[in-house]
Amino acid sequence: MAGALAERDFVAKLEKAGFVDVEVVDRQPRSIDDFTMYPLFTPELIELMRRLIPPEQQSSVATAVVVRARLAPQPGDSEATTS
Amino acid sequence: MTTDLLHSDERRSLVREAYQAVDSTGGAVACALYDDEQLGRVPLSARDLALGVANHMAFAELHPGDIVLDIGCGGGIDTILAASAVAPTGRVYALDFLPEMLDRTAAAAAEAGLSDVVQTVEGEMEAIPLPPDSVDVIVSNGVINLSPRKSRVFAECSRVLRPDGRFCVSDITIVEEQLPPEVLVHPAAWAG
Repeated sequence: MAGALAERDFVAKLEKAGFVDVEVVDRQPRSIDDFTMYPLFTPELIELMRRLIPPEQQSSVATAVVVRARLAPQPGDSEATTS
Repeated sequence: MTTDLLHSDERRSLVREAYQAVDSTGGAVACALYDDEQLGRVPLSARDLALGVANHMAFAELHPGDIVLDIGCGGGIDTILAASAVAPTGRVYALDFLPEMLDRTAAAAAEAGLSDVVQTVEGEMEAIPLPPDSVDVIVSNGVINLSPRKSRVFAECSRVLRPDGRFCVSDITIVEEQLPPEVLVHPAAWAG
């Protein structure tokens, strides 16, 4: 989670890499309780999050997204298919 | 001598050690993310090791014959779902940097009768060991956030995908200002 991007940065980096039609097709807020399912989140980290994150934010500390995109066709592809 | 301000090696070691230590989630993550039809296509071993963050396979629109790359296959749940969708003529390259995970994915594929469709590939997402234009679709679940070099990962995705190829990925996003610094620098937060 510490290395996660903001959604706008995720999209921007994809576009910079040559992807088009980038769309976020699903967004699900993830709570601290959700993270307890994952053994990668140690009890110490969960406790730290519960202590330091304001109670009103604990139900949405991150967002799970599904991102779809398409690699741009190579120049000339459309001409090749229509000629 | 150069200084790696991203602490890439340190972060890679943290992720490696954390994932090597994972034994089972008891299926909790899989049951929370996938529907009954999807779970019915996956061996119990892959369900128990699911560590993804969302269900992008519901949006991936895979077809028989597609060549798919699953970045960070882990225990293999998405690899198996992809393989069952692209079989019998397609292929799924299951990429992971941990041999232990590749072994688990291969075992799950064998159990699902999909060994002919799944090919495990050891490597890192920042240097995908596949040729250019070799893949129709890239999928991944909760893995790209683990890389300290995400622009490099996206560049590699662009290289291995064929023109007009598709990318359908689940990942975690955050609003950094909303997370306390003590959380962001905690070692477990780099792997979780």
